[in-house]
Order: sequence, then C-alpha cells, then structure tokens
Amino acid sequence: MNGLRIEQIEKKYMTAETGQKESFALEPIDLAIHEGEFVSLLGPSGCGKTTLLKLTAGLLQPDAGKIRFGNIDITLIPPESRRFSMVFQEPLLFPHMTIGDNVSFGLKMQKVAKKERQFEATRMLEMVGLAGYEGRFPEELSGGQQQRAALARALVAKPRVLLMDEPFSALDPGLREDMRELLSGIQRELEVTVLFVTHDREEAFEISDRIGIMSDGRLLQVGTPTELYEQPASTKVASFLGLKNIIKGNIRAGHFASEDSGIEFHTGKPIIDGKHFLILRPEVLRPITSSSKPQNDSVHLKGKVSKLKFKQGSYIAQILAGNQQLECTLSREEAEELEPAQAIELYVNQTDLQFVEH
Amino acid sequence: MKQVFSPLKIILSLLLFLFIGIPFIALLLSSVATGWQWPVLFPESYSFRAWEYVLFGSSRTWQSIGTSLLIAVIVTVINVLLAVPAANALVRFQFKGKWFAEAILFAPIIIPPFVAVMGIHLTFLRLGLTETILGVVLAHLSPTLPYMVRAVMISYNTLSVDWENQARMLGAGPFLRFYYVVLPHLLPGIAAGASLSILISLSQYLITFIIGSGQVVTLPILLFPFISGGDPAVASAYSLLFAGMAILALLAMDAVLKKYYQTKNPSVLKVKGVKR
Repeated sequence: MNGLRIEQIEKKYMTAETGQKESFALEPIDLAIHEGEFVSLLGPSGCGKTTLLKLTAGLLQPDAGKIRFGNIDITLIPPESRRFSMVFQEPLLFPHMTIGDNVSFGLKMQKVAKKERQFEATRMLEMVGLAGYEGRFPEELSGGQQQRAALARALVAKPRVLLMDEPFSALDPGLREDMRELLSGIQRELEVTVLFVTHDREEAFEISDRIGIMSDGRLLQVGTPTELYEQPASTKVASFLGLKNIIKGNIRAGHFASEDSGIEFHTGKPIIDGKHFLILRPEVLRPITSSSKPQNDSVHLKGKVSKLKFKQGSYIAQILAGNQQLECTLSREEAEELEPAQAIELYVNQTDLQFVEH
Repeated sequence: MKQVFSPLKIILSLLLFLFIGIPFIALLLSSVATGWQWPVLFPESYSFRAWEYVLFGSSRTWQSIGTSLLIAVIVTVINVLLAVPAANALVRFQFKGKWFAEAILFAPIIIPPFVAVMGIHLTFLRLGLTETILGVVLAHLSPTLPYMVRAVMISYNTLSVDWENQARMLGAGPFLRFYYVVLPHLLPGIAAGASLSILISLSQYLITFIIGSGQVVTLPILLFPFISGGDPAVASAYSLLFAGMAILALLAMDAVLKKYYQTKNPSVLKVKGVKR
C-alpha cells in the first residue's frame, strides 16, 4: 500500500547560465515502486535519471505531474517533511560533527531524545560494519567508510523511501562490490523501498528487483533484470544493456532475411510482417559439434571465426556470418577446438530468437 | 621537531623585528621623553607626565576606549547580519542588475570615504542622527561592509548546495540547515571579515569626526589633535594605547572563536583543512 508512484512527471530545463539556450526535457514519466522494492534507474550520463531522482526527493519541482506516496499526493510537500532519505555520490558527512552525530542527525531533526539517538546510531553503525567509529570525525575515515557512514545516516531515521544517486561510483571497483552486497543485505533486512540511480549496468543488474532504462529524458522500459535481458523492447535498450548481435532485417510471411541477405530463416512463429531487428544474445549462439544436439527447428548459421578472446573462464568468439560480425560466448572446451579463420556452424533454438520492431 | 636556524630565517626575522618593533620602541621612548630633540639619539630626561595625563589625568581616555569598542562591536555584528544574506544572494543566485549591486557594495573600498560622508552627513543632519553613537555606527558600516561581504562570499563559494540538500533530506528545515550546516562552514570567513571590520571601525577618524561632530569621542578623536601639532609625548602614549586596544580586541575575538571551535569541533585544531 505504501508504494511510491510517479505520475506523468515532466521537467524542462533552460540553462541560460552560460548564455547558451541549451535545454533539456524530462518527458512525462510514470513509475510505480512497491513497498520494500529495489528499483534502479539505469542510463547514460545526462539521460535525466538524476533529475527524476531529485524530483522524487522534492529537491526539484516538476513542471507537471504528481508524486504520490501511498494515497497521499506529496508533490508540494518540501523534501524535509517527506521523510525520504538520500545518499549522494559524495558521502557529504558534515565535517564538524563526529560520525555518531552525523548518523544521528536525522533523528535529532525529528527531536528524538539523545539517549535513543545514540542507541540507534550505534546499532546502525554496527549494521554497516563501522562499530566503534562513533567518536571519530569524517576526515579520519577512508572513502568507503565515509560512504558506509552516509548510508547509516540515511537509514537511521527509517525513511519511507531511500533515494540513492550513484552512491558507489566514486569508489574503487573492489570496494564497490562490497558496498553492493552490504546494501543488498541491509535493504532486505530492513525492507526499505529504494530508488537507485546508476550508469553501471552490472551494478543495476546485481542489486535491483526491477530496472528502469532511461535515455534522453525518457523512460524506455521497466522490468526485472531477466525480462529486460531476454525481452528488450527496443534496440536502444538492447544496445544499452550491452547486447551485441543486433541484426537489421525484414520479415515477410514468417521468413526473416537480414538486410544484406546474409542470414535467412523461417521464424517458426507468426510475427507481423515488416522491418525487424533480430537480437541474438551471445550465449544462445551454440557451435554445432559432434556432441551437441540441435533441436529440429533450430536456426543454423554458417560463418568463419575471426577472433577469439579469453574472458575470465570463458571465451568470446567473433564470427563473421555473411557480412555480420556476431559475438558468441563459448566454453573452454568449445573454444579449444577452434582456430582463427576456421569455418564454423552455429545454431540457435527457436525460443531464443528475439525480434524487436523497427 | 628540530628548530632549524638558517641564515635566511634569521635575516627575515630581523627585518620583521626592525619594521614592526622599531617604531614601537620609538613610540615608547617618545612617550616618556621630555624635550627629545635632534641630534641626540636617546632622550636626555624622562618623565611619566604623558602617561599620567593619558591614563589618569583625563577620564575621557577610558570612556573613549569604551565608545570605540562599543561602536566596533555593534558595527561588526550588523555587518555579519547584513553580509551573510548578501553573500548568499551574490554567490548563489543569478538576478538582473547583479553587477550593479556588487558595484555598490564594493564601491566604498575604491571611493574615498570623505565623498560619501559629506552626503551622509547632510542626510543624518535632517534625520537627527549626527552626534549620536547610532549615527556613527551607521556611517562606519560603509567602509567595513565590503570586506565582510567579500570574506563571507569566499566561504559561500566553497559550500556546495549538496550539503544543504543532504541536510534537507535528513529532515532539516531552513533554520536548522543554516545553523547546523551553513554557519559552521562560513565561520572562518566570518572571523576574517570580523577582524577587518573591527580594525577598520576602530581606526576611523574622519567619519567619526564628521558624523559625531565631536560629541561621539572615540580614541582616534582624542589622538589626532595631539599628533597634528600638540604634544608628541601624549600622542605617542595614545598611539600605544590604541595599538594595545586593537590587539586586545583581536585576541579576544580569536579566543571566543577558538572556544566555539573547541566545543563544536575539537578536530579542527588537530587536523587542519577539511577533506571533501
């Protein structure tokens, strides 16, 4: 019931500051987040994801649209009264306060008694792995510890929604992974509703219940990580998700032909005629070997190996089929049988074929 | 840490002493000399006549020190109250005529105070503000405010809005945000501006003289007639008293600030510079 709903939110920007009339528009966006859900907004920088987050926080006022929490319209409620919480890219710990005072700041604003504040702060610091740091000052902590303290500070007042604006992007890669795990664990334990902004695909896929893909001020698709990966709604989503093999072509009477006519096959299932993109995920392309048994209706492709790359435990083969460069993931055994410039036959199961309309 | 005495350091310290120390020695000697004339290097006879006159002879000395300090403190407090919102607006907002507002604010640094004071004097005459401490305080604002605004602006420049947004997201309203987040950050700038404001206000002669019309007696008002032709011994004694008053005022302010910092943030004294 206490979900967050973003309804037809719009925002136009005029940056007259530099004299240029460079404008940016966030087109009407709808997004519903359930209680306790972890939703990420994923998109390249400048796509409007941070703007959408700040609109949700109330730090920016929308030009049109509503933000609801539960059944209450909170669009006009100032951010300090929303009981939302936010973690920014920088830890932003107040430098003149101890970690303990920093963490309990939100409770102090709610006029909670000092004893209880201290108790809650200690408990939260333990949760993020900073037990015993209450008396230290922010500058005595490392970057990762500071961000942990910032997370504790955001969570201590039991926010209705936790907003996070690329909180781990300033950290080292190893540390980033630790933080993701920590956040995931805490989020599940406290059942906080989280709206998380990131440009890091891997990060979004690892920790989110659902992901919203954004580009140029628009929300392109919202879905669970698997949904997005297996059924991207458009090539833009597919390419942003790092899907490599996107082939332009036509479908006529259940027959797909790539534009350069290098790849042709029967689709097997009824699909409306017209221009389509065929998306082949690297792992659905399987080499035909003596041991593999392709299903009868599977699609076969012929090509030549142009490159083999080793990638932590598996191989990536680049294969030239017709005029198309395809990428395909191979196991070590499969790859060992191959050599560059060798001819190869691949198959794809019918169920793994994905078509996206033009 | 080992103290290193390099020749350069010794020479520099010596120069510093010569430039700052020697005038004081001369003042000190001149204040206790009777008939100290060229070409003798040191006075031939000494007396404490000047000091007796300055410290005990006229009760006006202590009164004038009190008036000087009172005016300086009020001026500085008003400056802080005016400069913080002004600096906030000048740094954070883009508005029409901003350059003009800035030009007016900083004009007193460039334009000699006498020019403005003539006009102010006329206006204050009509308003009945001349010969009052309030009038002098108001007139002192114009040469001191620019420095305060400048100093606070620099502090504001280094304060990202993110800090206030962060406090906002933790539930802090406008007043609490200012008290817990903005003010601690501005404090060094306010301290710098306040020192300048106090020193400039203490050393005002012309403005105090014109607006106060001789009725508001600050230490410079007592001091000047003796310098410009009266008694060099008394002038020297007053000058030393003036220097002492200014130094004590700054030390007092420093002590108050340090105490504030110690209660608010012991680490500032330990670790300098704030990592962001």
